[in-house]
Amino acid sequence: MTAPQRRTAAASERAREEDRALLRRYHEDGDTTAREELIERHLPLVRSLARRYAGRGEALEDIEQVGAIGLIKAIDRFELEREVSLATYATPNVVGEIKRHFRDKGWAIRVPRALQELNASMSGAIERLTGRLGRSPSIAEIAAELKTTPEDVLEAMEVGSAYSTVSLSTGPGGDEELDPLETIGGEDAEFERSEHRAALEPALDRLPPREREILRMRFEEGLPQTQIAQQVGLSQMHVSRLIRKSLSIMREELLR
Amino acid sequence: MTNHHERIDLVAPLSGDFQAVVRLIIGGIAERVDFAFEEIDDLQLAVERLLAEAGQIGSVRLSFEVGEASIRTRVGPLSEAAVADALRNGDAPPGQLTLRRILQTVVDSFGVEHLGDGAIVVRLEKLKGLS
Repeated sequence: MTAPQRRTAAASERAREEDRALLRRYHEDGDTTAREELIERHLPLVRSLARRYAGRGEALEDIEQVGAIGLIKAIDRFELEREVSLATYATPNVVGEIKRHFRDKGWAIRVPRALQELNASMSGAIERLTGRLGRSPSIAEIAAELKTTPEDVLEAMEVGSAYSTVSLSTGPGGDEELDPLETIGGEDAEFERSEHRAALEPALDRLPPREREILRMRFEEGLPQTQIAQQVGLSQMHVSRLIRKSLSIMREELLR
Repeated sequence: MTNHHERIDLVAPLSGDFQAVVRLIIGGIAERVDFAFEEIDDLQLAVERLLAEAGQIGSVRLSFEVGEASIRTRVGPLSEAAVADALRNGDAPPGQLTLRRILQTVVDSFGVEHLGDGAIVVRLEKLKGLS
């Protein structure tokens, strides 16, 4: 073995030991910061695997996000008695999650190229217009910017967004009355949370930290997508997709 | 400019295969009212989450009442047992996401009409320029 090879092998062994220490902290002590650290440490692996599936009608960022779900599952399911490294164990989980995603969303490959291209250019157009107008642009404004029709813009919006719709919170039926008309900011009576609502917490926990933070900003802080996009450094369209997809993933987790 | 209270009715299968079509139609209607991209996305998300609660079997009627700067959407009949709990009074504790919390965020108001026999219609109202 050459000197560089020895150094690489030593670094790999060190990384493997650090992973095992973090896995012990997470699985034996319940230390969730160790889990977060494990996710961060292995995101480059996810990105590398996701790149293999780029160019199939899905944004790379979306594939990476799906892959990250596979990574989190691998971390959560890892048994400390295993002799394999986390990277080895996680790889088939990440690839499996990505393949399952493509299998479930087989429609993606049927999207006409022109619409895919329009969708790809929309994100930049929305950012430019938002900056120029100081507000979220209308469809007509996006169409004018891209020299196309509002109908094409609407169709392009749907490219990459046809994810299965899912339930967020369902519970046993009851006899409590529903409000005839709820209004934001109205005074609400307290109610006891159902078991199903409690069950949503682990589903939320399945999401990567960035997606959890985006959902928190949108639905707890009530921030608009444009503001969230600025804070997390993504396009507004991407934030929109992440919100919808995260909600779908949570449902899938709930139904398992 | 759109005349006040024009109405569009749509009966759509609840099957997930058609939900992209529903989204597209909502986008088309909202575009006529000149909703911003984000407002359209909000209304689409509200309907999508609501339909997700309703399951995958049967069909649902969506009625869009289009004002000059608003869209009032009625979705139903939906199963009260499936949807009611998700919309019940009270705010979800921090860290939890419920349909109610999502609707509170993405539409300007929402409400429920009881049709009897365990069926309800949910009303959603989205105003232009308030989000």
